Amino acid sequence: MSAGAPAGAAGTARPGIVGARVQRREDPRLLTGRGSYTDDRKAAGAVHVAFCRSDRAHARIAGIDAAQARQAPGVLGVFTAEDIAAVARPIRATSNMPDYRATEFAPLARGKVRHVGEPVAAVVAGDRYLAEDAAALVAVDYDPLPDITDPEEALADRVLLHEDAGTNLIAAREFARGDVDGAMTGAALVVEDRFRIRRKTPAAIENRCYLAEYDAGRQALTLHGSTQVPGLLRDALAEIFDLPGHRLRVVAPDVGGGFGAKASLYPEEVVVCALAMRLGRPVKWTGDRMEDLTATSQAFDEIVRAKLALDADGRMVGLEADVIGDIGAYSIYPWTASLEPVQVVSFLPGPYRIAAYRGRVRAVATSKTPTGPYRGVGRPVSTFVMERLVDMAARRLALDPAEIRARNLVRDEEFPYKAGSGIVWDRAGFQDCLRMALDRFGYAERRAEQAAARGDGRSVGIGIASYAELTGIGSRISAAPGMPINTGTERATIEIDSTGAVTAAFGIASHGQGLETTLAQIVAEELGVRVEDVDIVHGDSAAVAHSTGTYASRSIVLAGGAATLSARSLREQVVKAASHILEAAETDIEMRDGVVSVAGTDASITLRELARAFYTEMRRIPKEARESLDLSASATYDPFFGTTTAATHIAEVEIDPQTFGVAVRRYVVAEDCGRVVNPMIVDGQVHGGVAQGIGAALLEEVVHDDSGQILTGSFVDYVVPSAAEIPDIEAVHLDTESPSTLGGYRGMGEGGTIGAPAAVANAVADALSGLDIQINELPVTPERLFRLIRNTEGNEGEPRHGF
Amino acid sequence: MKPPAFEYVAAESVEEATARLAEYGDDARPIAGGQSLVPMMNFRLVSPAVLVDIRRIAPPDAIGEADGHVRIGALTRHRALETSPLIRDRFPVLAAAMTHVAHLAIRNRGTIGGSLCHADPAAELPAMAVLLDARIHVARRNGERIVEAGAFFEGALWTALEDGEIVTRIDFPLLPPGTGWGFREFARRHGDFALAGAAATVTGSAGRAAEVRIALFGVGETPVRAAAAEALLTGTGFEPDAVAAAIDALRNAVDPDDDLHASADYRRHLAGILAGRALGDAWARAGGGAA
Ligand SMILES: Cc1cc2nc3c(=O)[nH]c(=O)nc-3n(C[C@H](O)[C@H](O)[C@H](O)COP(=O)(O)OP(=O)(O)OC[C@H]3O[C@@H](n4cnc5c(N)ncnc54)[C@H](O)[C@@H]3O)c2cc1C
Repeated sequence: MSAGAPAGAAGTARPGIVGARVQRREDPRLLTGRGSYTDDRKAAGAVHVAFCRSDRAHARIAGIDAAQARQAPGVLGVFTAEDIAAVARPIRATSNMPDYRATEFAPLARGKVRHVGEPVAAVVAGDRYLAEDAAALVAVDYDPLPDITDPEEALADRVLLHEDAGTNLIAAREFARGDVDGAMTGAALVVEDRFRIRRKTPAAIENRCYLAEYDAGRQALTLHGSTQVPGLLRDALAEIFDLPGHRLRVVAPDVGGGFGAKASLYPEEVVVCALAMRLGRPVKWTGDRMEDLTATSQAFDEIVRAKLALDADGRMVGLEADVIGDIGAYSIYPWTASLEPVQVVSFLPGPYRIAAYRGRVRAVATSKTPTGPYRGVGRPVSTFVMERLVDMAARRLALDPAEIRARNLVRDEEFPYKAGSGIVWDRAGFQDCLRMALDRFGYAERRAEQAAARGDGRSVGIGIASYAELTGIGSRISAAPGMPINTGTERATIEIDSTGAVTAAFGIASHGQGLETTLAQIVAEELGVRVEDVDIVHGDSAAVAHSTGTYASRSIVLAGGAATLSARSLREQVVKAASHILEAAETDIEMRDGVVSVAGTDASITLRELARAFYTEMRRIPKEARESLDLSASATYDPFFGTTTAATHIAEVEIDPQTFGVAVRRYVVAEDCGRVVNPMIVDGQVHGGVAQGIGAALLEEVVHDDSGQILTGSFVDYVVPSAAEIPDIEAVHLDTESPSTLGGYRGMGEGGTIGAPAAVANAVADALSGLDIQINELPVTPERLFRLIRNTEGNEGEPRHGF
Repeated sequence: MKPPAFEYVAAESVEEATARLAEYGDDARPIAGGQSLVPMMNFRLVSPAVLVDIRRIAPPDAIGEADGHVRIGALTRHRALETSPLIRDRFPVLAAAMTHVAHLAIRNRGTIGGSLCHADPAAELPAMAVLLDARIHVARRNGERIVEAGAFFEGALWTALEDGEIVTRIDFPLLPPGTGWGFREFARRHGDFALAGAAATVTGSAGRAAEVRIALFGVGETPVRAAAAEALLTGTGFEPDAVAAAIDALRNAVDPDDDLHASADYRRHLAGILAGRALGDAWARAGGGAA
């Protein structure tokens, strides 16, 4: 599919392990059905939860009658808010961001329901079938309250979702630099519009699933769950249940995708834990797709008014934006509801040189499913808006879209560059990515083909999108604004056991990224063993003392950094031990492929022999030396600021001028993700991300009716792309090293989703450039195109055929 | 998304199936491939107390030709229709339509009887039955009847079947030689139910269209024949004006609903575009009326 350049190997004497196309070690297991997901875990005596969920968007709970449900076959109990509140402290996502109002997120609805799908009661029965039968018997008496579905109306505060907050405005923020008003008035050209990407949902293939087991003898709680953040959950649950960490363990076994939706604390997690302790039996909840589409955190629901000012040469001089984020009903823990909308204004200036910027954001609560992190957070929207503005400007100035970008992208000599929102781009190949993408795409040729196709009455469009993102964020910057937890460090422990086997333990939680492979590559390279010699432990809060997990394009930078540091110090230990065993100077000891040898001699031992000498054959190393040695090393890595990742995407679409069906025909991504650990895995991440971005551009949309009912409650109605809708995607990698991270890595897990909506939107707009219409709303469905085109033709009748 | 408890019985014969269905009354439902019924049960949209499995009834040679008809057993799988040499030869339009039905895994299980009885307004097979004037054989305890396709579909997910009745066979009358065909649908994704679709056959004679049939689906409660448009085109040489008049007539005749995926206006627009394309294909395949 892809023709990524082989990375890392060129120019070094020995082909590096880092940079090699090592096959994913998790694949044989996952592809042959031998993975082990939470739902596969059988616990003796386990009971099952089904939730009675709100079918109202906004209502007061006047009463809950569970008598009939309690009598239903196989039912062990029906539990409501008070039962949980008795054992669990409430969840409140706090932030020290000014103008943020923390609201409570009760695991089971307390007093009020605020979105369709909100859990109201938990029914526990011998199996899920019986639990569902009984859940249907729980009678909730609702007093309807006015719905709050339109975010702009919600701002008027006529009806309050959280009365104790006193307003629906949950967060507000403004970034400003330079004289924006002056830039706007003095500009040769100002382009502006109101943009919207409709609400999306992450739709991981594995629905959420949790199994809590309480060992009453040890007073210890273990939660297995489909989560990206076992360490973060462990810390949160420790607070909620007031348990010490050594009696509380959170394990993420194989996890079938997350895309950010499994990176928060969920009510269902708290409920299964509380019930396991109360009932003394393992308690499992396996969410189904309907629950996933109504009660898993959703994404990207912003209205953005933005304008861009340029001089006569097409140089950007000012940018202004006003963002309203529809955050849904609750502020999700720990990220808070400000995460997504604030990132939109933070990243709006993109990779461009713009002196003056003002961005204002308001996050508004509505009676919809809570939003949360989703692959790309904020940047898919900011990139869509900015890249549309850039193309609109290019058109008005009669500049080629590639040329206007070349004029405005920050150039190599300008790094580090501080964007108007305060973000600092350390250094990345902004211009190089554009050039490489144009090159690989065959831009000039394709433009000629496009012109010819137009001549034949075909609507072909080409769209470019450039963006930059911050990845591998360290302790200096909070992953979400003002959040009181640390997401800027990761820890690794690497151990050589008495058999000589190498085990590297991390707190991150791979859920599709192939981190078992890439982290093993890094450890193997740094330590001097073969990839297959290294086992990776992850997804277990017991593995390291502190961790959060895998999200925000952080794992290869942070865990990779921790792997590098700990492997280096372990290697020193091995060298010391070997110098005793092989009776040679430490400087002469080499280690490669798991064999330790003395340079220039044939004296060598395997790691297995070395381990035996160290742990078992007690006379091989003197006692004093042994006691100061340890075949185990731990290290924590903190990239402090993080680093920049950049890319340019180019999409080519063809639109059927009569049905308005849009087909993506060609797709190229050129990206700078720093040093590439495994080009095959990077390609896979790019492909998947682009597919999700194409979904956002053309297909996916969570739809509510006026009363807040969710209309997209199944995959019949929530339309995700399938393989047939995704073209071959070519990814080219700019193989540079980040100056700011250990190892030179940059994060790249989200990028595909960031660039694709913008590139596809620009391509659609380009295809329709003969018409006077604006592509300012995604997904650009055939229905929307039909209405847009019919409206421009100024009649209510049939659009004329062809355009 | 788990169904409530139900009883399951497997019938070995039409007699046994209809007897069981009669015995349990409207608490019972036949199940064939389960590709529509099981999802509806999981959503608890239907909760039959008894499922009567009819799959064991199928005779092995479910597709055959006799008396000027191709006869298809109700339990014939979608995939068998798609790949049958006889269908490809006699009803290439039907073989082409089948490639648009769902995905391979579903086509391997779904049956023609199930698709007709489920009667989704956007499904391909009901439209084919209407286009090709299929005759639907229905059995009940101690009785049988034949329902013309045109009278079988009464509404969305609603047919002329009475409780206790099952479809056993569908007969498709052979088309005259030299009949051209066209099939076009528009779906948002490959394998999805169409937002709208059209199928046409044209039998040509000396440069004229001697017989024209157009069936539309996804644009109303049931698949429909576009009778006015058919009449306008019959006898013409498919001159652009004649086709345009037919398309206008057909757009005026359909009464689609708004839903999540498409507005009524857009569906009506699509119906015209797709019917125009299907008719163009059919006319070309009929040799431009040469035969
Ligand atoms: C993801 C997905 C996509 C799909 N896409 C399409 C599509 O694009 N186009 C399309 O046409 N279909 C589509 N389908 C539906 C599919 O074609 C079904 O197979 C078909 O509609 C039902 O056939 P079945 O044999 O599975 O019937 P079942 O599900 O077993 O039964 C369906 C209904 O018919 C009744 N029934 C079944 N057989 C008989 C009989 N012989 N006599 C009386 N009643 C009977 C049942 O009681 C039930 O009410 C899709 C299905 C899925 C799951």
